[in-house]
Amino acid sequence: MNAHPPALRLAGLRKDFGRPAVDGLDLVVRRGEFYALLGPNGAGKTTTLRLVSGLLAPDAGSIEVLGIDLADAPAAAKARMAYLPDEPMLYGKLKPFEYLEFVAGLWGVRADQAEPRARELLDWLDLSRHAHELTEGFSRGMKQKLALAGALIHEPELLILDEPLTGLDAAAARQVKDLLLAHVAKGGTVILTTHILEVAERLAQRIGIIRQGRLIAEGTLDELRAHTRGGSLEDVFLQLTATP
Amino acid sequence: MRAAPGSVGWLLRHELRLAWFNASGAGKRRPGNAAIGLALLGWAALHLLGWVTVQRLAGVAGDDPRILFVISAVLAGGAALMLSSAIKSSVLVLFERSDLDLLLSSPLPSHSIFSVRLAGVAASTAAVYLFFLAPFAHAGLLQGQWRWLGVYPGVISVAALCSCAAMLLTLGLVRVLGARRTRVVAQVIGALAGALFVIASQLHSLSSRDSQGRVREMLDGLLRQDGMGGHPLLLPARAMLGEPLPMLLLAALAAVVFVLTARRTHRFFAHGLQLAASAARAGTAPTAPLRHRFGRSLFLTVIVKEWRLIVRDPHLLSQVLLQLLFLLPLFFLVFQRADVQVQALGAGLALLCGSLTGALAWIALSAEDAPDLLLVSPASLATVRRAKLAAAIMPVLALVAVPLLWLTVRMPATGLLVCFVVGGAVLGAGLIVFWCGRPGVRSNFKGRGKGGVVMNMLEMFNSLAWGALGWFLAGATRSPLSDTSALAVTGSGALAVVVLGAAWVLRVKRA
Repeated sequence: MNAHPPALRLAGLRKDFGRPAVDGLDLVVRRGEFYALLGPNGAGKTTTLRLVSGLLAPDAGSIEVLGIDLADAPAAAKARMAYLPDEPMLYGKLKPFEYLEFVAGLWGVRADQAEPRARELLDWLDLSRHAHELTEGFSRGMKQKLALAGALIHEPELLILDEPLTGLDAAAARQVKDLLLAHVAKGGTVILTTHILEVAERLAQRIGIIRQGRLIAEGTLDELRAHTRGGSLEDVFLQLTATP
Repeated sequence: MRAAPGSVGWLLRHELRLAWFNASGAGKRRPGNAAIGLALLGWAALHLLGWVTVQRLAGVAGDDPRILFVISAVLAGGAALMLSSAIKSSVLVLFERSDLDLLLSSPLPSHSIFSVRLAGVAASTAAVYLFFLAPFAHAGLLQGQWRWLGVYPGVISVAALCSCAAMLLTLGLVRVLGARRTRVVAQVIGALAGALFVIASQLHSLSSRDSQGRVREMLDGLLRQDGMGGHPLLLPARAMLGEPLPMLLLAALAAVVFVLTARRTHRFFAHGLQLAASAARAGTAPTAPLRHRFGRSLFLTVIVKEWRLIVRDPHLLSQVLLQLLFLLPLFFLVFQRADVQVQALGAGLALLCGSLTGALAWIALSAEDAPDLLLVSPASLATVRRAKLAAAIMPVLALVAVPLLWLTVRMPATGLLVCFVVGGAVLGAGLIVFWCGRPGVRSNFKGRGKGGVVMNMLEMFNSLAWGALGWFLAGATRSPLSDTSALAVTGSGALAVVVLGAAWVLRVKRA
């Protein structure tokens, strides 16, 4: 067994919903990497992330999270990762600390670690002044930030985010981006999908592009440029995903 | 001929279409063909009943004060129920419809929107009653008894008056209480109006023989007075019986009230909508220190979360508790007879606790707000679900602990048997939802029965079985069981076991 397995390894991953949503996907994301998964609408990005997070069972193929086979030991794999979907998984009738208390309970985080971490995250994301409010009254951006705090409360080694910046204003987007970069700087791994190509261009160390459930290109921005006629990531993306 | 887009007629058509969709319960599609067919069949049967009734009542004088009084009483009860459903409809159109932002941002004048909304409330309120009463009017028409046609203007006028009252009450509550509380309070008032009719209908049976006699004498005295038949309070009854002048007066009153309500309060309506929209976004001012505790066990964490969610949702809580309100008249009735009090206590507590547990278990287990969060966490789903079941059962047991303790101290054998029956009903109801519950959303609490017919049937049989056991076992502590009662105890016990067995067999397979 490899002493330092990758953060995520997908081999021959397949999921079919009448038509293939993920079609024999092979993907490796290294530890400590900021990886952006791009693709046009319906390319299979969200399905891939839902398979990795354990929300969907694959029809074929394997998923390894930090060397742990998700099918063999789902709880052990889930304990070391976090998933943040585009629609925040919140409870409208809970206040921020209560939400984090619940999430910390689900991940079994000890009180002496969870409480200071919760305070730190809420301070960082500028949510402490809303600590008395129920989340049902929060704006879209505040909900997204609280959900991110929930995803980070157990300090996951692998953080998976589906469109985390959708609907955020500039200030909130900056806070989230800073938090993600800090997570990577501390040795964590981030995999995100986004339609905002500028985010992937500026943050991601490697970029994977999928179309029709398959990885069609992967590498650093320079490597992707080298495979195409160059230009910005948008140019590269449009060239790669153009319908043949 | 189709109304021009943007006209009042066009808007009314849109409103009626929404009401028709809402008739299916789910509010997302029109009622199915099977439901429509069944309703038509029922309506045809009502016409037969109407034919026979109208034929039999052919010789009854419409101006007899006794008849007018009875019709007035029925009409008062019907108006209470109409008010109840009109309040619910007002809450629906004011707070729960998601098309008002679109309508109010369109060039349509707000008074047209409000008038049509009000007309929609009145139409949906009247429709239910016309469904049941129109067959009598049709039968009267066919038999040449024109006075029965008074049902149409009578019902529509009373429905319009009740709808105006309901809308004004709801908008008034918004001004006094704010939009956030109005939704809950208006629904509670609406449900109470309906429940009061049921309770009031039992008043005669509940009162002592002396009181019944005194009331009868007083009414006889009133009805013997000269000119009593012309009393203004009996006007709606006369209108219902098809007397032209009262009919015209009632219709004119309803039209005037409707026009005044629509004209004078449409600005208030728009203001109420803005308040309702902003209520969801309003924050809560800090009033108390934050209470949270990290580091609880998973089981306890889930229980605390479920309780917080239930307690902080007064709308949901009121719906749960109002379910129980409708059982109260039954208990009043059975508690009047001293010889069946203990049995009634056993059966009543089993029914109440079973029903309450079923409702709470559905909220905790089936109506999870963030199911994906639980699935992506490493927490054991079995532990989470057991904690949710405990969160549903514990409040019910806490609620009945005091009366059960009181009963056990006074009558140990009876108390212990009732404890057993209540425990069985609660556990049975909880397990049925635990095994057979399908995912739902909290906002659809009232429609949860449509999502799981099997589960609801099992819940009902569970409550009935434990209720019957409670009745007979509690009775057995006062006098020896007869052969029939022993058979009933065995049958009820067997039914309770069979229901649980069926729930286990039909359980939903979970990942």
